[in-house]
Amino acid sequence: MSTTTPVPTRSAGLRNLLTRKGGNKQGHTTFVDRAALGVAGLMVLLALVGPYLAPMDPYAVDLAKSLTPPGSEHWMGTDANGRDILSRVLAGGRTTILATVAVIAVATVIGTLIGTAAALGGRIVDEILMRICDVGLSLPAIVVALGLAAAMGPSLQSAVIALAATWWPGYARLVRTLVRETRDAEFVESARVLGVSRTRLVLRHVLPNSLSALYVQTTLDVSAVMLVISGLSFVGVGAQVPASEWGAMIAASRDTAITAWWTVLFPGLAIALTAIAFNLVGDWLRVRTDPTLRTGGR
Amino acid sequence: MLSFIAQRLGMMILVLAGLITVTFLMTQVLPGDPARAAAGRNATVEQVDAARERLGLDQPVHEQYVSYVSRVAQGDLGTSVFTQRPVIEDIAQVLPSSVELVLAAMLINVAVALPLGVVSAYRRGKGADLSARLVALLGAAVPVFWLGLILQAFLSARWGLFPLTGHLGFGSSVPTVTGMTTVDALLAGDPSTFGEAISHLVLPAITLAAAYIAVVTRTLRSTMIGALDADYITLARATGASEWRVVISHGLRNALVPTSTILGMQLGWMLGSTVLVESIFGRVGVGAYSVTAVLQNDLYAVIGAVLVIGVVFILANFVVDLLQLWLNPRLRKGKRRERAGADESAAEASDLAGERT
Repeated sequence: MSTTTPVPTRSAGLRNLLTRKGGNKQGHTTFVDRAALGVAGLMVLLALVGPYLAPMDPYAVDLAKSLTPPGSEHWMGTDANGRDILSRVLAGGRTTILATVAVIAVATVIGTLIGTAAALGGRIVDEILMRICDVGLSLPAIVVALGLAAAMGPSLQSAVIALAATWWPGYARLVRTLVRETRDAEFVESARVLGVSRTRLVLRHVLPNSLSALYVQTTLDVSAVMLVISGLSFVGVGAQVPASEWGAMIAASRDTAITAWWTVLFPGLAIALTAIAFNLVGDWLRVRTDPTLRTGGR
Repeated sequence: MLSFIAQRLGMMILVLAGLITVTFLMTQVLPGDPARAAAGRNATVEQVDAARERLGLDQPVHEQYVSYVSRVAQGDLGTSVFTQRPVIEDIAQVLPSSVELVLAAMLINVAVALPLGVVSAYRRGKGADLSARLVALLGAAVPVFWLGLILQAFLSARWGLFPLTGHLGFGSSVPTVTGMTTVDALLAGDPSTFGEAISHLVLPAITLAAAYIAVVTRTLRSTMIGALDADYITLARATGASEWRVVISHGLRNALVPTSTILGMQLGWMLGSTVLVESIFGRVGVGAYSVTAVLQNDLYAVIGAVLVIGVVFILANFVVDLLQLWLNPRLRKGKRRERAGADESAAEASDLAGERT
């Protein structure tokens, strides 16, 4: 996980978080923030419509055009099989971004379940679940995910499942902290006194008011997860050749990297750009949700 | 203090048990027949049956688990299908080279991140600060393996500043003593080979260090800002201490406590990241070994590498915890309240540490 655990002084739901007035550090949303939001939005759009934007067929092999440098016909050049790299980068965004989202979604669901259970389930449950989390956090994620994915048989699904299985403990610990705070809030107590059922209390009152810090954390984690998932593809346990996944594209072009730099440069830039954008957006969200971070310029 | 050590020791044993359980699960989810996987693709029926019996695969799961734990405890990680040697021997042979790479990367990490973090905190909002934040932003976003390939393509292939791959130039060799090429060259008293080994080490080490430099810079900057705002800094200035002394002896000394925790944990993480770096630069090491094993479908070798990297990672974290005793005098006092506070700061440091990759 990354950076300090953001604990909002006042709880806020997702809608509240996105519509709240206020901005960065001294209260402004800066140009950089807007640019990052724009790029992050573009990347999400790319995940949805990228394959339709591709000017050429990302899988069309044309050996006569093998390793063409960037030029007017192929803006990002072609790879060893003569496939248009621009088209593959555009189409590959979907795979990389959706895989990243899938990892975070699965890890968030598991983390929320475990974290909530730990916060509300009594001392013994709490102790057991948190020790399991400690163990999970004490193992190197990429190596464990590598082993799990290799054992399940290399494929993008395996990589996603393996990484989600190593990524949830951080979320569980965060959700536990957040739920414990909300649990004792007055409005929860009032609802309890009014006779709201336990399930409804958790689902309608405690969780929605606990999780804004979790949304921030998941945004900040997009870059880290994307780097690991593309790394797993690069190593060979994720997306398989000839998939146009960014990490797998770099892996497939590693032998031509020395002679034809464009084959690896552009997919890598796509990963880096997405990661930077989501990191900046995450920081921006964090400052917005946590007023204590606004002064001091940390 | 003793209870602190006991607590950390208990935690370490728990994590080791967790690691062994996870690797056991890996052997269980192997698709198809695990006995066949262990015996190799071209094994005869008798060999597969022998493997099944040897691994106890005909027994119930809990008994398999017990025998797995006892085998691991004796250092038996199975046999590599590819090299036909015990996995533990294979790994023992390549591990020193990975350790060499990790130590070199750590050296670069400290040499770059410490000055950068201190300067950016001291000159908050100025040019140096902005460049430090840029480094932190890029380091957290650039894929390691891509950075390696790009450095190789430009610095080595195009401009010829560094050798492309391997440990030594063509035709050079040193007698293997420690398995670390640089150390072996020194032991052999051969300065030119030593220089060669260093020049082969530079690019892989930079590649491996980049992401960690970002994390250390960011952490140190934020703790250093906290330290420089503290009352004892004002006091130190009031006593007429030189600015250098104020920043380094008073500021950095206090800011280093959480940073050192992170640096220590990074040793373990770096060993994991060798998976992404070593094979690019054609280096022998536990990372390259596990990648090759994945490609060759040599699953016991993969799981063995996971186990060894995990164990080193856990031991490194334990040593770091003990070092905290020495670095942070507050931990040495037995008072319960203070210990709880220190635990929180350790947890906070690990949260600060960022990417777990």
